[in-house]
Amino acid sequence: MAEQTIPSLRATTLTNSPGKTAASRMSHVPEIAALSAVAFAAAGHLLIKYGLNSLQAATIPHGFVTRILNCLLQPAVAGGLAVYAIGTVLWVCAVSKREISYIFPLSALNYVVVGVFGRLLFGEAIPNSRWLGISVVVLGVVLMQWRGREDL
Amino acid sequence: MGATAALWVSIVLGGVAQILLKRGINGMGAVGSVRSPRWWIGLLGSGWIWAWAFSFTVATALWLLAISQLNISYAYPLLSASYVFVAVLSRLFLGEKIPWQRWTAIAVISLGVILIVRH
Repeated sequence: MAEQTIPSLRATTLTNSPGKTAASRMSHVPEIAALSAVAFAAAGHLLIKYGLNSLQAATIPHGFVTRILNCLLQPAVAGGLAVYAIGTVLWVCAVSKREISYIFPLSALNYVVVGVFGRLLFGEAIPNSRWLGISVVVLGVVLMQWRGREDL
Repeated sequence: MGATAALWVSIVLGGVAQILLKRGINGMGAVGSVRSPRWWIGLLGSGWIWAWAFSFTVATALWLLAISQLNISYAYPLLSASYVFVAVLSRLFLGEKIPWQRWTAIAVISLGVILIVRH
């Protein structure tokens, strides 16, 4: 049912926003850029977490700034931040073409990517409750295409 | 600063950062698109973008500080608050018109995030 509803509502939306070419309205490039940004951010997160896990509790300094610097100097943390930076450039591209209240919630796909790759790469078990949550996030992203998506 | 305080400041500042980024990009309207190098150079001349970079960096540093001490299954669900927070701020400060369908989608996504990370 939802599959039938979405295109018709989107068509209504589009006729209500004159001044945009059909091509720019129908383009999925910003969505693809956002999803790529999310994938890079997720890879960055995994690297950062890996690096933080390798910190020895006994050697964590007490000062605020020194503690942060100690984190940043871990190679995996620094590498993760670099991957994250690539994602940020893609994110800027996506944000330039869509409203922020539309595009920002799509970053929740991060959890889907991390969950699925955690299973594929590390063989982590995903409990049923988490699959439920992943399905709900995906449902929300699909719902977002229903009048949620509007060009500037 | 305690880990929980760092977590909350990180979440709020991270949301504010998205608004600053969008405000900076909106201000670039007349300078072409992301396909042109001039657009990116112009972006670097925007005070909004520097405010975003600062907020984003501080938010990320606080996030690292928080998750190095907190259980990730406690820290992550709280991030779902930021979707609603960014939507409210975008309406107040950027004049984004948010149809109820988008609010619904935001609520569903936030619920999904809570379900994913809750045990």
